[in-house]
Amino acid sequence: MKRRGRGIGCMWYPIGFTVTANPSSAVVKVNEDGTATVLTGTVETGQGSLTVLGQIAAETLGIAADDVHVVSADTDVTPMDMGAIASRTTYVTGNAIRLAAENAMAILFEVAGPMLQVKPSQLEARDRRIQVKGFPQRSVMIGEVANRAQVTLGQPPIGSASWNPPTVAMDPETGQGKPFNTYVYATQIAEVEVDDETGEVEIIRIVAAHDCGSPINPTLVEGQVEGGIAQGIGFALQEEILFDGKGLQINSNLTNYIMPTTLDLPEIVVDIVNSYDPTGPFGAKGVGEPSLVPTAAAILNAVHDAVGVRITSLPATSEKILTAIKAKRAADQKQISA
Amino acid sequence: MADEPKVLERERPVVDEALLRANTDQNLPAVARRESVPDTLVPQARQQTGAVGQRVTRTDARQHGLGQTRYIDDLSLPRMLYARIKRAGIASARIKRIDTSAAEAMPGVMAVLVGSEIPVNSFGPMLQDQPVLADPIVRHAGDGVAAVAAVTEQIANEALEKIVVEYEPLPAVFDPVEAMRDDAHKVHAPASNIYISKVIRKGDVAKGFAKSDHVFEGRFSTQMVEHAPIEPHAAIADWDANGRLTVWATNGRITLARSDLARTLMLPLNRIRAIGTIVGGSFGGKNEISQEPVLALLSKKTGRPVKGVFTRTEEFIATTTRHPFVMEYKTGVTKDGRILARSVQLTLDGGAYCSWTETALGKACILAAGPYRIDNIHCEARAIYTNKTMAGAFRGFGAPQVCFAYESQMDDIAKALGIDPLEIRLRNVFAEGSPSPTGQVLHSVVVKESLLQAAARFGWEARS
Amino acid sequence: MIDVTIVVNGETRRASVPPETTLLKLLRENFSLTGAKLGCDVGDCGACTVIVDGMAVNSCLMLAGQANGRSVTTIEGLATRDRLHPIQKAFEDNGALQCGFCGPGAIMATKALFDENSDPNVKDIRDALSGSLCRCTGYTKMIEAVQDAARILRAEAAAKPRQLELSK
Repeated sequence: MKRRGRGIGCMWYPIGFTVTANPSSAVVKVNEDGTATVLTGTVETGQGSLTVLGQIAAETLGIAADDVHVVSADTDVTPMDMGAIASRTTYVTGNAIRLAAENAMAILFEVAGPMLQVKPSQLEARDRRIQVKGFPQRSVMIGEVANRAQVTLGQPPIGSASWNPPTVAMDPETGQGKPFNTYVYATQIAEVEVDDETGEVEIIRIVAAHDCGSPINPTLVEGQVEGGIAQGIGFALQEEILFDGKGLQINSNLTNYIMPTTLDLPEIVVDIVNSYDPTGPFGAKGVGEPSLVPTAAAILNAVHDAVGVRITSLPATSEKILTAIKAKRAADQKQISA
Repeated sequence: MADEPKVLERERPVVDEALLRANTDQNLPAVARRESVPDTLVPQARQQTGAVGQRVTRTDARQHGLGQTRYIDDLSLPRMLYARIKRAGIASARIKRIDTSAAEAMPGVMAVLVGSEIPVNSFGPMLQDQPVLADPIVRHAGDGVAAVAAVTEQIANEALEKIVVEYEPLPAVFDPVEAMRDDAHKVHAPASNIYISKVIRKGDVAKGFAKSDHVFEGRFSTQMVEHAPIEPHAAIADWDANGRLTVWATNGRITLARSDLARTLMLPLNRIRAIGTIVGGSFGGKNEISQEPVLALLSKKTGRPVKGVFTRTEEFIATTTRHPFVMEYKTGVTKDGRILARSVQLTLDGGAYCSWTETALGKACILAAGPYRIDNIHCEARAIYTNKTMAGAFRGFGAPQVCFAYESQMDDIAKALGIDPLEIRLRNVFAEGSPSPTGQVLHSVVVKESLLQAAARFGWEARS
Repeated sequence: MIDVTIVVNGETRRASVPPETTLLKLLRENFSLTGAKLGCDVGDCGACTVIVDGMAVNSCLMLAGQANGRSVTTIEGLATRDRLHPIQKAFEDNGALQCGFCGPGAIMATKALFDENSDPNVKDIRDALSGSLCRCTGYTKMIEAVQDAARILRAEAAAKPRQLELSK
């Protein structure tokens, strides 16, 4: 018989390295036509970081994503970065890029001030223009300013910066301290159907509400959560590296190491929780790892709700679940006849 | 003299009118307009200002769809050779003898490398306890013991078979509990197998348990998992005639990669160029060097670029994995389900080498109590060496493991006390300004919002 | 060495290769068509999927010799100079690819599906893509992209006869 159940998994997760300095640095060059080139030492590993970093630079400079080209991952060319790890790229590298863009912007404002006959501090960048705050009709194209800066005045608008999340070392005896500068929070709720004759679990749907601070690119956030949930499903129900008695792996291939395919994915609903972190670039935090943290918990709690068995070791294979169901049945029978 | 002003005028840079003119119709300076791509193919969101918050298409989406993205294995350099690494195939041993002569004699084999030839044969993001090529101690079956570079991959594969390695088997330990015993085989003798510990203490758990109406205990465990990115680890090393090394690698941390290469090869940093292409998935598994120093030395020996691509088997046996955890949780609650005290013990199976274990252990310890307001916490964690594939960084660094434990126990508590699972969490979660287990005042806290939002979307109704 | 002649993306190509050479290796190394990827070399991951005589095939499991005389379509053969194939456009617009490594294989598997079934339901789509492993995306946006592409292709097919009429 198939039994339905629902389960909640709720979590928190930090952004950046634990206490250790993990700076990122960046260079932003505004070209003489108002487009920009960004140099970052981070590496694109599929999460879409270069797109997000380009958006952050564009927002700071008041231009569009298409006007920014991001150059990355070459130690001869790009400045240092502690890397695509610990969900830190949007937050740490993003802040470095924002600061570098602001430094480039400062040069442009110094040039634009006299052009518009105001003080540089009265200017802002929007819609590919540099305009007077509160008086948008008094403006000049960013391309004009950049050209004047570099070609006429000999002051190319190049800005560089680095950023490191502030932390406080943890006491060696008690662990008290401030190991990270920010954290994210999330809840996933799973609905499953368990066949109590085979122990097989079908996941019907997973609803995920994730905090990532202010989302720089909602599509990419969803992509991370959906991908994380898939890995979480594998972690919960399928994946395991198995060793023989001599310490050799016995399933070191993708036939016998079971991981999720299109046939294993349920309906996934991703919601971004409304949140703004003032320490992050435009309020952003991160999402790369948090996405899979609560999935196994939600699924296993749903299994518990469905068939009343608590599986305490992962993966919760159908064999384990069936064994537990049978044991529970036997125990219940004993109680009844007692 | 009258000519001077003209001379001065000519000295000023000539300003190109085209650069100054902004095409206000398109809102773009003329130079920046993309003429060659038909407008229908350029996604509009990428042209909106106010870029943050936009669903802009990825900059690499076009190339991905066309199959034009160049991953390391798609790159080729003139006269490039192919490398393969021989894996130990035995979990714990001392190498008595390696005979590479038959392999070296094969036509098409250009160079062979063993561990003793590596200038500094150790690396690791925290402890440098991992050899580039094992010499002389093998600590897990995936340890590399020798490498070849040949003109084709086929020849390199055949050459591996011809390398003769004589092993003296050593005792091995696979179970972390067994490995913690004093008489267990020491994986990194003379060091203890318990190689990192951490403690987080807040308040007084004994008092907290004493005050609790109920105390729940549970033991949870999780398994070793593989990142399994669809793209295997790959790298190309080119040690040029000037003694400058360029490495293209599927590595998510090129700053670290460069410094690791500098250390293992004893080169100054400015002689190394590390390039990370678009990596085909990492999830933490491509966060440290692996075969790069081997390829570099093979390139140095042969004077030719050398490419190495891991087989899928090597992805499993010779790259890092997720730490198996054993977790003991003891939680004291009031009859209303408010958590008064939580005591956690974590044991991490670290495999043969440290890799990112310290980070995983530290994070797991900090996160282990869950996103809950608890005054009395005690969390102890330790990492254990075993003769298995090394565990390292994998998406979540211990968080998925502890979350499975603390959320499972939360539902057990909810059921025992007859409280709705959503409700019991709402009663305990962090709020803005709550102190964390390390005494940190938390900001931008939205865990309650995430619970309510998920519940609303799910349609979670409390059952009577 | 064996001689093989294959029509790849409409072009006749020849090579002389060792007999154990797979079709994947032939495409990538002899013909410089690096779109199809090596993920496992044993037919488990689908990253090497191409279409051979109308059928989706793991090219790492087919020998170059077995493909002799046949017609092969790779990812490089989908787009024309003027436009992306609707599958590629839909994948791009939906954010269906992240690292992109499984992309060519998944897109060719989709093409093979559409060649057989122009109105696949979600189950058909899942079945057709079940051999294309992806570790990044969780498949959700991929399935949405396939549904989008199917809609676009059906609309284009429906529009064609009308266009012919107007031009009369």
